[in-house]
Amino acid sequence: MSRINTKFGTDLKKFGTVDFQACYNCGNCTAVCSLSTEEHSFPREMVRYSALGMQDEIKASLKPWLCYYCGECTEHCPQTANPGELMMSLRRWLTAKYDWTGLSGLLYKSFALTFIAMLLIAVGVIAFAFKENFNQETIMHFGHYFEMFAVGAVFALILTPNLIRMWWYVIVKPKVKADFKIYLNSAKELFIHMFTQKRALGCDDNQVRWFEHMILVFGYIALLFTTVFLDWFSATNKFIIVLGYVESIVIFIVTFHFMLGRIQKKKEVAKFSQPSDWLFVIWLFLMGFSAFFVRLFIDMGLIENHFWIYLFHIIVLVQWAAIIVPFGKWSHFLYRSFAMYFENIIASAGKKN
Amino acid sequence: MKTKIGVYICHCGGNISDYVDVEKVKQAIEKEEGVSLSKTTIFACADSNQKEMVEDIKNNNLEGVVVASCSPKLHQITFRAVTERAGLNKYNYVHANIREQASWAHSDKKTEATEKAIQIVKAAVAKARLATSLNPIKIESKKSVAVIGAGVAGLKSALELANMGVNVHLIERDFFIGGRVAQWDNLCTSNDKGKDIISRLYKEISSKKNIQLYTGAEVISYSGSIGDFHLKLKIQPRFIHNNSNTEKLQKAIDACPVEVPDAFNFNITKRKAIYKNFPGEFPELPVIDIVSCTKCGVCEKICDQIDFSQKEEIIDINIGSVLMATGFDPYMPAEAEFGYQQSDNVITLPQFQRLIANSNNKLSYLNKEIKNIAFIYCVGSRQVEGENKYCSRYCCTTTIHAAIEAKKKFPEINNFHFTRGIRTYGKQEILYRESLLNGDVYLQSYEDDPAQVLIENGKTIVRINDILTKKKEVDIDADLVVLVTGMTPREDNSIGSLFKLPKGRDKFFNEIHMKLRPVETVIDGITIAGACQGPKNVMESINSGLSAAVKSYSYVSKGELELEPIIAVINKDACIWCGKCAAVCPFGAIKMENDGKKDFAIMNNSVCKGCGMCLPVCPTDAIELIAYSNKEIESMIDALL
Repeated sequence: MSRINTKFGTDLKKFGTVDFQACYNCGNCTAVCSLSTEEHSFPREMVRYSALGMQDEIKASLKPWLCYYCGECTEHCPQTANPGELMMSLRRWLTAKYDWTGLSGLLYKSFALTFIAMLLIAVGVIAFAFKENFNQETIMHFGHYFEMFAVGAVFALILTPNLIRMWWYVIVKPKVKADFKIYLNSAKELFIHMFTQKRALGCDDNQVRWFEHMILVFGYIALLFTTVFLDWFSATNKFIIVLGYVESIVIFIVTFHFMLGRIQKKKEVAKFSQPSDWLFVIWLFLMGFSAFFVRLFIDMGLIENHFWIYLFHIIVLVQWAAIIVPFGKWSHFLYRSFAMYFENIIASAGKKN
Repeated sequence: MKTKIGVYICHCGGNISDYVDVEKVKQAIEKEEGVSLSKTTIFACADSNQKEMVEDIKNNNLEGVVVASCSPKLHQITFRAVTERAGLNKYNYVHANIREQASWAHSDKKTEATEKAIQIVKAAVAKARLATSLNPIKIESKKSVAVIGAGVAGLKSALELANMGVNVHLIERDFFIGGRVAQWDNLCTSNDKGKDIISRLYKEISSKKNIQLYTGAEVISYSGSIGDFHLKLKIQPRFIHNNSNTEKLQKAIDACPVEVPDAFNFNITKRKAIYKNFPGEFPELPVIDIVSCTKCGVCEKICDQIDFSQKEEIIDINIGSVLMATGFDPYMPAEAEFGYQQSDNVITLPQFQRLIANSNNKLSYLNKEIKNIAFIYCVGSRQVEGENKYCSRYCCTTTIHAAIEAKKKFPEINNFHFTRGIRTYGKQEILYRESLLNGDVYLQSYEDDPAQVLIENGKTIVRINDILTKKKEVDIDADLVVLVTGMTPREDNSIGSLFKLPKGRDKFFNEIHMKLRPVETVIDGITIAGACQGPKNVMESINSGLSAAVKSYSYVSKGELELEPIIAVINKDACIWCGKCAAVCPFGAIKMENDGKKDFAIMNNSVCKGCGMCLPVCPTDAIELIAYSNKEIESMIDALL
């Protein structure tokens, strides 16, 4: 039994919902959804939980992650209750709930706070550079190590505990009984979905968006690898240099296209953008774009007189690594693939029992 | 005996001629006594054939006409009109049904179908030979109408009748007009207040010289029939003189020591024994509730216009038609029905509406501030076990509207709707959306598993297995529970009993035909309008008021009425007054009379419908039905055999 909590709906508005309370339960959204199945039927159920404020049920559910936002539900909604955007908002809300620090929630709800945090980081980086007398070598050296350190720290301190919390909500609390073998056997799903996002192909007419998204993921991971482990900015190997160029170009072209989509608002998925959505796509674009020019300036011998380009790049990078990755939209990369993993575990455990 | 009868045998496209040999029928009929003309036709009802018939009747001076075709229900009126156009009295027309009764019924036996058709037509010819010209019965009709009930339906129909030039007696049992609508504050989908609508109507009514308004008036007896009803009215005094000083009266009201529950506010507040419901109410004169009054005399000392010597009046009125618009009562929940009368904070929808209308700044009930409101729908409507199977139609919309109004006035409140499916039909659907967007929560259950009101540790918990959320059990802690009560027929049905108005399955007054004759009752001259006929909203009540007004007008407009002449006639000499005919007459048209020599039955010609029920019960064969006399029926039987 649970008590209805109407405050939840008000709270959810801050995560981006649009008129979801207009829902009169016709269920058209669920009927047209190409990913909804009899066992995993959504989005109506989620709309209902949201209207009644049944937070425990939502926290225990993986359904928000099973939706890949094709927008058909919203297009067919006779009440214009935007179920697609509700599912998106629930993903933001879940991201905030999984985050043990609580910072994700604060940043999602307040753009002002996000802006201040981003500004403080930029000021910090410039102050650091000032302290180092804008010494190019020291700063670039520091930048390289910062990247390595940041990846490790964010994973160890923020993202891993958050994933454990997600596991707690969806598997431990609902008392799913799964032995180690099931975890092991399902691990395949985790990697398939992490690197292919193949479930997104289940949405109607979604091939182009899926392809763009996939090469963006590959480009991003590869660029991270190229800069951190192959030390792109100091590399002399021609292959590595060209590889870095290609990766950064892929990133800024795809993200440019995504930004354009959000400006044009032709597709449902791009109609409603929260600050977190803009930050994610713009900063990814800026990362690719600035990395490309840093290396170009190095190759053209301009970097010494135009060191600002590297400073700009490092500011974007630190903001990205300290805010967007741990507390922003970046984590959907993990939660989506882990959701498929956990879902597989739950299904296998269900079959076994 | 007629000698010039024209017979038309219809092919009905093939519907008849495919199975019945119409030529053979024609040949057989030609030889019949009295038939001077016989024809077959592809479609008797076609315009060209109708014209030909008119010509035939005129040119051959036909005295009788028979068309053998479809059912008389379909075209008897058509061909009666044809004969009339040709200058022949329409009762000389006889209809023979050889489609439903021959070709369609015996499509597998063509020869026999033809034989049967011949017999049917022969019987019709036999009747036509004896048919006589008849003229409608004309009775005088008083050019005035009594409208009973001055609610919104009654007011609007009274106005409409007055506009058409009829004298109207508008009779209201209460001391103030406006009925239920006066009790509603903001109305839904239009931006009016109930009392504003009533005062607009009142202003129009008072400008009409041909409307006589009686308040505190009841009909105590009635006699007569359509065109000539006599009503006796008992009119209660107000105990206050007209043109009294308003200020003094207000002081008298303030000083009155008696306090009784205020029915205008559905008993959630108290009023004095001398009272009016709200400022500007009509008639704008307070009244003394003599039942509650202790006659202490305090008011008399303050205001000299108060007069306890006023007596009730009895007056007689004579009208041609009665229009009933007596309204409804809200459903009264049984004790413990959803916690009613078990918990102080369980009230009904009408009470909630008065509460919202009377509250300002802060919403509280019995000194407790209200935050969470639970509305439980379909209380007293759509009952599985109880009497009221019907949907009251207005309540979903009204509740949602009330919830919106309450939220507008008190933004801090939360509305929870425990429904059995929302029915905000038509334009009212936008209210549902508005309320959803306000954040109102809707929960739903089936009739076999309704919401429950539980009183736990002084809290009122409303619990439901919400079918919209996988039947999960959810609840709220409600500060106020509003039972959405539907409409029921008036508890006091004395007026219905007085007129012997038939009631339908749901106990509201019944019309003759739901679709085709929606405001007429089986008692000629009495029409019904508004919620006395069944649940209606304001707009629907006014619509039915207007149509009842037009129907009542049609009874009185010409000053006389033309009635169907096919009625039963009683042979006084043969009658021995056994009373059997009067007992079986469904319309109460037969009464006993005595001329000083003997008792005998007498027929009220304006009430008899010619149904023939009285004929077979008469032991002395003293009753005959015009156009269906023994002679006519016997000749038809002879022709058939």
